[in-house]
Amino acid sequence: MTICRTIAGVVLLLSGFAGSAQTPATPPAAPAAAPTYVGSDTCKTCHEEIYNNLQKTPHSAIEAGARRGWAQKSCEACHGPGSKHAESASADDIKNPAKLGPDEVDRTCLNCHLNEKTPVGRIASGHAKDEVACTSCHSVHGASGAKLVVHKKSEINAKCSSCHLSQAAAFNRPYKHRLPEGAMSCVDCHNPHASFPADSMRAAFGNEPGCLQCHSDKRGPFVYEHPVQKIEGCAACHEPHGSANPRMLVRHNVADVCLECHSNLPIPGAKNAKLGGVPPAFHDLRSPRYQNCTVCHNKVHGSYVDRTFLR
Amino acid sequence: MKLLAMFALLIPLCAQEPAKPAEDQTKPAADSAPAAQAAQEPAKPAQEPAKPADQPAAAPAAAPAPAGEGWLQGSIEIGYRWIPNISGNFNAYRSTVNLGEGPKLLDADFSLIDPAKRVFDRADVHATSWGGDPYNTLRVDMSKDGWYRLTADYRNIAYFNFLPTFADPTLTLGTLLDQNSFDTAIRTTNIQLDILPKKWFTPYVAFERNTQFGRGITVFQADRNEYPVASLFSDQTNNYRAGVRLELGHYHITLEQGGTTFKDDQGASDNVSSPGNFTGTFLGQTLPLTAMNELYRVRGDSIYSKALLAANPFPWMSVTGDFIYSKPRTDINYTEKSAGNFYLNRILQFYSTGQDVLTGDANQPHTSANITIELRPVRKLRIVQRWMTDRFHNASNALLAENLLISGAPFTDQQLANDRMIVNYNEEEIDAFYDLTSRITLRGGYRYVWGDADVRAPVLLGTPLQAGNLQRHIGIAGFTYRAGQKFRVIADAEGSNSDQTYFRTSLQEYEKAHIRANYDVLPSLRFNADFSLLNNSNPDPSIKLDYSSKVESASVNWAPKGGKWASLLLDYSRSAIRSNILYLVPQILSPAPSIYRENGHSVSAIATVKWLSFGGTVFLSSGSRPTQYYQPLARLSVPLNKHVQWNTEWRWYSLSEPFFIFEGFRSNQLTTSLRFQR
Repeated sequence: MTICRTIAGVVLLLSGFAGSAQTPATPPAAPAAAPTYVGSDTCKTCHEEIYNNLQKTPHSAIEAGARRGWAQKSCEACHGPGSKHAESASADDIKNPAKLGPDEVDRTCLNCHLNEKTPVGRIASGHAKDEVACTSCHSVHGASGAKLVVHKKSEINAKCSSCHLSQAAAFNRPYKHRLPEGAMSCVDCHNPHASFPADSMRAAFGNEPGCLQCHSDKRGPFVYEHPVQKIEGCAACHEPHGSANPRMLVRHNVADVCLECHSNLPIPGAKNAKLGGVPPAFHDLRSPRYQNCTVCHNKVHGSYVDRTFLR
Repeated sequence: MKLLAMFALLIPLCAQEPAKPAEDQTKPAADSAPAAQAAQEPAKPAQEPAKPADQPAAAPAAAPAPAGEGWLQGSIEIGYRWIPNISGNFNAYRSTVNLGEGPKLLDADFSLIDPAKRVFDRADVHATSWGGDPYNTLRVDMSKDGWYRLTADYRNIAYFNFLPTFADPTLTLGTLLDQNSFDTAIRTTNIQLDILPKKWFTPYVAFERNTQFGRGITVFQADRNEYPVASLFSDQTNNYRAGVRLELGHYHITLEQGGTTFKDDQGASDNVSSPGNFTGTFLGQTLPLTAMNELYRVRGDSIYSKALLAANPFPWMSVTGDFIYSKPRTDINYTEKSAGNFYLNRILQFYSTGQDVLTGDANQPHTSANITIELRPVRKLRIVQRWMTDRFHNASNALLAENLLISGAPFTDQQLANDRMIVNYNEEEIDAFYDLTSRITLRGGYRYVWGDADVRAPVLLGTPLQAGNLQRHIGIAGFTYRAGQKFRVIADAEGSNSDQTYFRTSLQEYEKAHIRANYDVLPSLRFNADFSLLNNSNPDPSIKLDYSSKVESASVNWAPKGGKWASLLLDYSRSAIRSNILYLVPQILSPAPSIYRENGHSVSAIATVKWLSFGGTVFLSSGSRPTQYYQPLARLSVPLNKHVQWNTEWRWYSLSEPFFIFEGFRSNQLTTSLRFQR
């Protein structure tokens, strides 16, 4: 906790430092030299194709709507005032988000998209940490059609797979979720803009694991919960992307999955890694009856009736 | 589902009016941006300079009509699939592939654009794999600019699993009977309506439904024997939620209230005499089951409240936060009747019929909160601090009444049980990002994870609850190198040395690393590489966990001239898992190593030369469960005219597992289809 307090102190100090830096990072330019807004019609003169593509996308609302103050200036909403660029036609005289750092690109987008359904938490997401900008997935000008981002499940999967190679490869295994078939997409389970649970997993029913969105019979609450499912999640026993083992288990034998945890002797007071006690000793693993625990303990995800998950 | 299908069918009817003359087309657009709207507060981006004063006041620019485009664009692909043979194990085929023969609607993808913008501006409908395939999807996305956006998503996935070797205690007797199998379908429906999207005040309502139904085999367990019986699955969860998104200058807030209902009516029954898995005698008697009936009637509901905040209070500061509270609960009624000859350990007697009745309830209040603050004190430095907590407990009660018939005499017993689980999880992380140069960003951080949990104790411990603690100090480091848009390397690493974890297999002393790179050599040629590593160990002498996982992947994507004439997509991935841990052999309680090994190679490739595509995927693994899974394919796509394309696809599925030879299968499939495009 001492470390935490130290860090909190550092953060507070930095906050104070930041407070002193409230003056805009870019000093106010001399009014005479400041570029002014010229309107989209001027931009369209040279960039007609981009302008026309944009107008087929939801971003056309910038051009048409007045609420954000960019009516008829949709290009300059992101690129900044363009009078200087219009005069010189030089790429150096206009802000080009494609050449900005990912962090600056994100901030440009979040100026408007701060509170959409998904970007909440964007600044804490893995993508934000890894400097993967919004424009890595979203086509702001709608160059690929009327959508700013792909919506078909197969196209979403292809988009994610272009970076997440090892995860995509896991779906070549025989036991997997139905992503290669196009029945599911990566964003059915993950929120690429970050979310409350780890690994950008989607949440279901407010604050429960996203797996329960489809497997809601495993949700409970049960009279007798299986703690590992609630504490470590489904991935404690399953490989959600794909496995060589049936039921996407992490081990080839069910008994191994269970016994690697359920092997602690009952020592009162022991706390480290001690959740999960030994099973009753009449389970003779040499008998085929006991080699697959879930034959009898078939309510292993939680039971309404029996504390040992037999029914 | 029927409603959705009708809805999808009705959409084209709304748009089948011919395009109105040009003057009519402009009118609705003008109406949609009234002057009053223009007077609303202009929430300008903080970093942008002030708007020039001489700009005209928000003239209602007409949204461009889709000039030169029809009201209907899209494609539909219908065809027929032949499956000449499925050799090997048919149930294993159904458990992994499950494609069937017959006519199919393989794909339908439409965009409807109403030039008059009456009910909607645009509606997109996308459906895949209808006609008996094991997974059907339908998505509808309809919107009228400034008024609403409606999205509906439906998915029906067959969930079949009957692998003869998976849970089969009778395999050594030559009987292939997986006693934990199912033939079910999972259907999910999500519908959301956003009202006044892109306005400062956007209410929304949503409905989600998830159902599972079907049949299966489960086991009825008595103390000295267990019996495979037929089971039925039937559960349904409905989720209703409504909320509002508010944009108040630099402060954006979402408030949502939701609730769910849940019912589970699963059961099992059998009226055929069964000797069970134990076919011998116990104290001189056999233990057969002659009849049983088991029925669950579980009803549940929950409420949840959610508040989200996203704010840019200062140019140098961003804040996001969530607060979510939910309270799911269930009420349980359970009955079980059985007849046969059974032995009850607790009273050391045989009984011939039994009836169990249980009533119970469970509650699980759950609170989660999360706040993240990003500070940008100087241009090159960002500091992100995140704090989160997730805490819940489960409190349950159950009363079980047992009525047994022992040698013709009734025996009654009642057991009152209650159970608790308390879990508190907390996480705090601070990361600093520093732009060393315009190409290199360094980051470093520290995460502290701590928590405690009280869970039901094992019977042998003799106490109702058992406590566990969690504490991890994690160091984080990484960098991003980018050379323009062409080359990028991202590297992340973290490590921890903990002494308090919950479970034997939890992360304890671990290192993680992940490096990813992509290089666009040409606009048409891209290379990717990915490497990830996880080492985890627990040196406790009774555990001795030594786990290592390593994945190396590389891909090349080549599409000269936009892939018009030829393209190649090639991925290769190699994975290795090595796990050693001690466990206690149950019958002798002496330690033995549990060893798991997996060395996998995965290749997927698609090469296209004009009309012909060929490739597929291969997965080969060795180790604890060697597996070979091949899915090659070849596809011929011949354009017949401007609007029609003829596709023919051949696929081959082959699974073989040397340790489980009964579960191999091979299947050829040929699909031919016509794709109509407008």
